[in-house]
Amino acid sequence: MLSENRVIKVQALEKIFPGDVRAVDSVSFDVREGEIFGFLGPNGAGKTTTISILNTLMLPTGGRAEVLGYDVVKHAARVRNGIGLVPQDLTSDEELTGRENVELQAKLYHMQSGEAGKRIDELLQLVGLIDSQHRIVKTYSGGMKKRLEFATGLVHKPKILFLDEPTLGLDVQTRTSIWEHIRKLKSETNMTIFLTTHYLEEADGLCDRIAIIDHGKIIALDTPDGLKKAVGGDVIEIEVAECGMDVLEIIRGIPRVSLLEGKCVGTKARIKIPDSSVALPLILEGFWNRKIPVLNVSVKKPSLDQAFLEYTGRELRDEDKGNGGRQTAPSARKGRFRRK
Amino acid sequence: MISETLALVVRDLKRWYRTPGQIILVFTTPLMWLLLFGQAFNIGKLAQGAPDVDIREVFGGATDYFSFMAVGQTTFIVLFGSLFSGVSLIWDRKTGFLAKLQVAPIPRASIPISRMVSTVVKSLLQAIVVLVLAALFVFIPGLSGLRFSPDFGILDALGIALFLILLGLSLAALFVALGLIVKSEETLFGLINLLNFPLMFTSSALIPIALMPDWLRAVANYNPITFVVDGMRQLVFHTSVGAQYSVAVDLLGITVFAALMMALGAVLARKALLRT
Repeated sequence: MLSENRVIKVQALEKIFPGDVRAVDSVSFDVREGEIFGFLGPNGAGKTTTISILNTLMLPTGGRAEVLGYDVVKHAARVRNGIGLVPQDLTSDEELTGRENVELQAKLYHMQSGEAGKRIDELLQLVGLIDSQHRIVKTYSGGMKKRLEFATGLVHKPKILFLDEPTLGLDVQTRTSIWEHIRKLKSETNMTIFLTTHYLEEADGLCDRIAIIDHGKIIALDTPDGLKKAVGGDVIEIEVAECGMDVLEIIRGIPRVSLLEGKCVGTKARIKIPDSSVALPLILEGFWNRKIPVLNVSVKKPSLDQAFLEYTGRELRDEDKGNGGRQTAPSARKGRFRRK
Repeated sequence: MISETLALVVRDLKRWYRTPGQIILVFTTPLMWLLLFGQAFNIGKLAQGAPDVDIREVFGGATDYFSFMAVGQTTFIVLFGSLFSGVSLIWDRKTGFLAKLQVAPIPRASIPISRMVSTVVKSLLQAIVVLVLAALFVFIPGLSGLRFSPDFGILDALGIALFLILLGLSLAALFVALGLIVKSEETLFGLINLLNFPLMFTSSALIPIALMPDWLRAVANYNPITFVVDGMRQLVFHTSVGAQYSVAVDLLGITVFAALMMALGAVLARKALLRT
């Protein structure tokens, strides 16, 4: 169960790269022992930079971060002993076999070979690589390589596991199986897991608490349900030829429709109302009466998508278009936030 | 420190001998050099028939050019191996493997040191192959092989190994550090090319110093490779005829060079591995 013991404490953490690029901008949060804590945000939001600081790969330019009670700047060696990392990229040595990669990791973490051997068997079993453990990693599929990264990151039984975009660029089946592994880890070992993702579905399904991060700042931090609740009612988007104040006024003028919020996003009128099932026919009728052609209508029930939009003013997928951050294969970028 | 370094050395060596064709290259590259350079470039022929010249004076104690260059060839193997020792680190950085090492609770120094050790092990094995192959050339009709002195013994062999290890460590220290600092292969390859030829051709590895113009001779006398081949030739041929320095001075020369390079390498590598 969740304890009140805080294994990561971050206070006003800051990382400014040359050229005044504020990758992490005064970020504060705590992670409790045994929870899955998620950093949700678009590419270039500062997720990987934060992980790199917590993993002792990078120095912050300001603020403080403690992992397992040790300052990441002053006691890097102690922090390193207690954490495991499954990086965003596939970092296994392609010329070694799967097992040899995990064995090397065990040696780097000073495990006795007997103890390590048993542990490696267990882990390769867990990630489903026991039958291909003696194959050269070069011959593995992308999903197998990713699962090997999990085994490698877990071999020394870290107290905190960092997962940087654990399912980026993976197919749906592999993603589902990775999620199963993560849930299993949590239920069986009570390991604390810190993950970054820009898949809302992933954050929603896995995390106990989520911090929404954008442009280096945390803009919301709550449980998935809490974040959804904050969004409030249903959101209706009505696309017309041109959205302006007059269109919003029309909607406001419709009787028995209580508007919680309304604004124009491009050619869409985006309105929030407590119950869309009653209001939508009335609104459409109103448009019909005034001879305004409605090009498209969509209704969204409260979701994390909605929460993200609510807090950042944009949809996550908007970021994919003009974002100059990390490069990703085009295929991996498409439909990232489409819900099942 | 030692166990982590050893684990990383084993990883490097596995990568090496598992690369397809690597073992074949270990044999064919020196073979090509020995055959093409050693036989075709046989400048010993030029000196034949000149009765007043002791050919051993020119060829550092060897009685023929092939024996002279075969010993020099070993330093090439070490030089090439060391020059490229940093390239794989650039790859490790790109794949993220290096970051994984930096997150692990290992002393930072084990990263460059393991790479240096594996480089030296590889170079030394190849150098042994060169010497054995060169000696076996005697069985090819019409060719003369590398002629070891009849008194050549285990201590001489160990001495040769020591010279090559010191040369390998000094060059690998520098290039491993450069591999950590430089982020692109292109830059590193540029640096390798920049140093490769001057180091090679301003030494007495392939060209006898006696045949060099004065200005080149002045450079060659202090080239670290010269110290190594000069010392090794005395051990192989058991004579100080044609030697540049005594074996002790050769050993001192390369030791000082190795110390300087390792100190420089340590400073550079440390800087490159610091968190920013």
